[in-house]
Amino acid sequence: MHDHMDHVTGLEKRELLAHLAGDCDPFRMLAIKKGPGTYECPNLIPSAFNKRIVGCVCHPDTNHIEYMWLHLGEPKRCGCGYWFELCPIAPL
Amino acid sequence: MNYNNNNHPFHLVDYSPWPLTGAIGVMTLVTGMIKWFHEFNLNLLMLGYLIVILTMYQWWRDICRESTFQGKHTIKVSKGLRWGMILFIMSEVFFFLSFFWAFFHSSLSPNIEIGMMWPPMSIITFNPFQIPLLNTIILISSGVTVTWTHHSLMENNFSQAIQSLFITITLGIYFSIIQSYEYFEASFTIADCIYGSTFFMATGFHGLHVIIGTIFLFICFIRLLNYHFSNIHHFGFEAAAWYWHFVDVVWLFLYIFVYWWGK
Repeated sequence: MHDHMDHVTGLEKRELLAHLAGDCDPFRMLAIKKGPGTYECPNLIPSAFNKRIVGCVCHPDTNHIEYMWLHLGEPKRCGCGYWFELCPIAPL
Repeated sequence: MNYNNNNHPFHLVDYSPWPLTGAIGVMTLVTGMIKWFHEFNLNLLMLGYLIVILTMYQWWRDICRESTFQGKHTIKVSKGLRWGMILFIMSEVFFFLSFFWAFFHSSLSPNIEIGMMWPPMSIITFNPFQIPLLNTIILISSGVTVTWTHHSLMENNFSQAIQSLFITITLGIYFSIIQSYEYFEASFTIADCIYGSTFFMATGFHGLHVIIGTIFLFICFIRLLNYHFSNIHHFGFEAAAWYWHFVDVVWLFLYIFVYWWGK
């Protein structure tokens, strides 16, 4: 039988390589803890495309999520005051 | 290189004709069954079988291509398939539950018409300590050998994986041959009161599942010989092994309650 590394291919291989390199979230799907979120230093949201939906949990005890589309090159502010900006990344 | 314009671990499958051909196939199958019942003509039924078998072969072949050859089965996809197989086996558990319910309904409170006894008057049951015990030992042993196969796979031991899977399949075929011999030798038929009905419906569907499980394991054997599995990623085999253990457990319930308690 072959070594698993010789066996994998395609997206499965890229995912495995990313995990071995220490990246536990290669598809950038997990929640991100907010930073300062000011206009000068917005929360950077990684996306391989021109737009992505962002969900803001405004306060720790908020019971809903504020969703908004974020477009490339257009920083946006949630109602709670935090700023978000799309940050281009390469797809896996 | 990502050719799919997405950046997620999920598998959005390419367009495929097999769901449609599968639907056409099963419709042809059941219509053919009716035609067989009423007009004693097997043609449409055979056509239905052919379409369904071709669909199954091509659909699962495509899944092997998407996973082993194209690498589209990420960890998330594998987890989804695991849940899918578990839910499917759960549905099969409920399917067998209904036949066991029928068995207990009639055997715990036997009707006056069968003599208020179980087994009913004049039914000569199988001795549970003869052939049925051999079948029990065969299936339990096959559960051991399939686990041996899994560990061999995980330890990258190719030759032992082949040997143990071959033994598992052989034991499965051995069970089916012996059970069909028992069916021929039975002193009662499915038409022989409620005992025959519950016995043959329960053991009959179980036998069908043994054959399905054996075929599934055999496909895994072919894939193993063609190096489709690695020591870490071999969910197709795991699904077959889960199904095989399920078949084994159903037989244990059958043996204890239908064959042994019911004798």
